[in-house]
Amino acid sequence: MGGRAIRAWLAAAVVLACVFAPGLALAQQPSPNDPTSAELVERPKEFDGKTVEYTGEVVGDRMVRGDFAWLHINDDAYYLKNVEEGAELGGYNSGHAVWLPAALAEQVTTFGDYQHEGDVVRIAGTFNAACGQHGGDMDIHATSLEVVTPGHPVKDPIHPWKVALAALLVLTAAAAWYLHRREPRF
Amino acid sequence: MLMVLPLVTSVAFGEWDTALDFVISIGACLTFGFGSQLLCRTEKDLDWSHGLVVASGSWVVATILGALPHWLSGHEGSYLDAMFDVMSGYTTTGLYLLQDLDHIAHGLNMWRHLLTYAGGQGIVVIALTFLFKGTAGAYKVYVGEGKDERLLPNVVQTARAIWLVSLTYLVIGTLALWVTAMFLGQEPVRGLLHALWVFMGAWSTGGFAPQSYNTLYYHSLSYEVISVIIFIAGSFNFALHWAVWTGKRREIVRNVETISFAITLSLTVLIATFALAKAGVYPDAMALFRKAFYQLASGHTTTGFSTIYARAFVTQWGPVGMIATTIAMAIGASACSTGGGIKGIRMGVMTKAILQDIRKLISPESAVVRAKFHHVKDVALDDGLVRTAFTITVLYVTLYGAGAVLGSLHGIPFVDSAFEIVSAASNTGLSCGVTTPMMPWDMKVVYLIAMWLGRLEFMSVFALFGFLVSMVRGR
Repeated sequence: MGGRAIRAWLAAAVVLACVFAPGLALAQQPSPNDPTSAELVERPKEFDGKTVEYTGEVVGDRMVRGDFAWLHINDDAYYLKNVEEGAELGGYNSGHAVWLPAALAEQVTTFGDYQHEGDVVRIAGTFNAACGQHGGDMDIHATSLEVVTPGHPVKDPIHPWKVALAALLVLTAAAAWYLHRREPRF
Repeated sequence: MLMVLPLVTSVAFGEWDTALDFVISIGACLTFGFGSQLLCRTEKDLDWSHGLVVASGSWVVATILGALPHWLSGHEGSYLDAMFDVMSGYTTTGLYLLQDLDHIAHGLNMWRHLLTYAGGQGIVVIALTFLFKGTAGAYKVYVGEGKDERLLPNVVQTARAIWLVSLTYLVIGTLALWVTAMFLGQEPVRGLLHALWVFMGAWSTGGFAPQSYNTLYYHSLSYEVISVIIFIAGSFNFALHWAVWTGKRREIVRNVETISFAITLSLTVLIATFALAKAGVYPDAMALFRKAFYQLASGHTTTGFSTIYARAFVTQWGPVGMIATTIAMAIGASACSTGGGIKGIRMGVMTKAILQDIRKLISPESAVVRAKFHHVKDVALDDGLVRTAFTITVLYVTLYGAGAVLGSLHGIPFVDSAFEIVSAASNTGLSCGVTTPMMPWDMKVVYLIAMWLGRLEFMSVFALFGFLVSMVRGR
């Protein structure tokens, strides 16, 4: 095998290593619940109609419908700290939709999104594998809600290496555009 | 060019780190674009094989470059995962490996949905609309992307007509969802963003949604009804849309694809409803029909929206419900639409061909048995059409089978494995929990290739492989 071929194989190996390299997977935040949201989906018959206590981060919106409201509460690897704050990757989000009196839902002030880690709340209520009131949705009808940990804004720091890379690529693109413009037309 | 809108979104919401991700990605795209123009300049028009290679090659390049914002966000386990998500977006599949979706930036969510909306029209269609000058080669590239309908005499005009239809629906559909979202309790800005993204996911039959709960998040019959109307409209052939736009409204009930879709959707909904009723999963008939119809319509149109949890397919629907959904996904949407799968027109052609053969068998030898089908105009069934329909169908079924076996080799139950590979290869995006960031890398690669093969309907990708082999051989 010639030197060029060896270099080509090495380059291919480096590219493949970069493509397949997994992200760092360190200790992840376990769910505080027993059963967890995933176990409720996995064994719905077993828990159908039973009272559950459930803790997690409120994400998305408070959707008020008359005297009641929907909240979405995640008990996944990000319920205390999300990826934007530096949490390690720990799989998909996992949680449950919770139907509760609007007055209880009003206690939640911070909802999890890109710029916020939402309030962590503890609720108690009845788990429905297929709720008759809500078109067969799997949900929890809560009768109590307590804010365990208030949510907080998440900083969005700018990484210096990204600034440098952006400047380099914009300059390279401008140079390529300039050379392209100087090319003789057919 | 597509990255400008997510960049503007990030800036508007003060997501500076994400905005920088898009500046880096735009810089990389422009460097690649101008660099390749410098190195690969030619005045020659394209022949058919070049058209196919350009079409499939453009998807590879777009996937590699399009994965940059995903990867830079820190929400992907590897660059392969980022490429998986981008290929899933472009091919309007909807499976994803992105982690902590509920905490991603508006800019990145805009990028995910824009990918799937643009991918639904086709990357080549975008190029034809804005960049090409209408060369003969343009049509060859257009066909290479799995679309072969000319709505208008000029292919560039056809591409622009596709965009006219899509953008008109975008305005109407987004407004309808936005107004509904306000009644559902969403704030105006979030309601508008969700409406726009859900529209994009529905119209492109893509299935991406802004929250990890997918469309279960909205808990609303009216939101479901609007999204069903949008994704069924998106799954119809652009030629059918154009015919209706130009006044031929009866085409909706006469077209072979709408008839085929109505029959197979009804049958699969019936099977799933029967199985779910027997198992007593849902408390009443309304809930039963609502859940069965939504998942089946979503599967059949290859959208991938879902109002049940992914694992609920296994833990509540069971094998019969899953097989009915798998069949619906495998058949898929209409040809020359945003959808995937074997396609309604091929089901129609194959059914007509089988019926024609049966009629021949029972008719006197001297009888001449002819068959035709209606697709915009009456088309006589000839052997060439039948052969093409069967060839592509065999390729799809082979891909579905090979992927299902691979999953089984990894210890996944066959029904689950078949469900997931059919979802990937038919560009649907429903999941029963097999696709996760922790799945084996070889399955990620196979699913990624299956999405690509399914979207381009094999031939363009085969042409690219042939081109690469001939390059290695020096021919």
